[in-house]
Amino acid sequence: MNSDSQLVARAQDGDEEAFAELFRRHGDPVFRLALSILGQAFAAEAQDVVQEVFLKVHHALASFRGEAEVGSWIYRITFNQAVNLKARARYQRPHLDEAALTHAVAAEPGPYAQVESAQRDQALGECIQTLPEVYQSALRLYYWLGASVAEVAALLDVPENTAKSYLHRARQLLGGMLKEKGYSYV
Amino acid sequence: MSEMDPREAEIDSLLRRSMAAPVPRLPPDFDQVVAREARRRSQGPQRYGRILLAGYGVMSAAVSVVLMRGQGLGWGMIAAMTLGPLAVVEAVRRLRRKQLEVAAATWQEHRG
Repeated sequence: MNSDSQLVARAQDGDEEAFAELFRRHGDPVFRLALSILGQAFAAEAQDVVQEVFLKVHHALASFRGEAEVGSWIYRITFNQAVNLKARARYQRPHLDEAALTHAVAAEPGPYAQVESAQRDQALGECIQTLPEVYQSALRLYYWLGASVAEVAALLDVPENTAKSYLHRARQLLGGMLKEKGYSYV
Repeated sequence: MSEMDPREAEIDSLLRRSMAAPVPRLPPDFDQVVAREARRRSQGPQRYGRILLAGYGVMSAAVSVVLMRGQGLGWGMIAAMTLGPLAVVEAVRRLRRKQLEVAAATWQEHRG
């Protein structure tokens, strides 16, 4: 099996199958990383990020010198692309209408529990939005997308201990913020 | 995650409950969509770029040959001075490709 660097070398010579193989290897992680930055409501935008990232990779193949690992290179492009898109999309409405929200709330048992849980989840969501991008991304990768600490580290291009400390620090910050807002979270 | 204190463990549990949601997936044919778009974007500029570069190359070579001949240089010297740079460019390209292959082999060896 070809390594990523060999695939890049073949793709640099115009081998389209090598580029397709790069997509098969990294397309899904790139999508997950984009989702982790943009959030649940922006799956369509995350697809756009995947397309733009691979078009940039295709365009930049000729100048790739193999100084970084191919995966790290692609994930760095993804992170920047998704953060830029998020800055533009921040003022747009997410793709959830009122009916979807009502449906989400109605799925939970007991009217008071529903309301309390929904309010606390909303507060938690707002608190998450105020965290630094890497913390948000680490949290969504780990808690929503089910990534292991090792996967979080690989996608954010940091050592595993750093990924662990991102999660630890994010939890600490969220705990403090929820307490300030008067929510109990047990 | 075994080193969590009780308060952090509570937040951990809240995050697990609160962030549990279906995970979207890429459409199955998305790789083809991207490959098609990459081909579309690269073919146009590449074709015109190559035509332009080839035209420029031929024109500058012709002008150089005329000027060098006018200065009294022999055909052998003119050929060496025109084709030499092309040979250097090709050699550098091959060297770079070889370096990439060596880097790939070293990386693979390093991984296992």
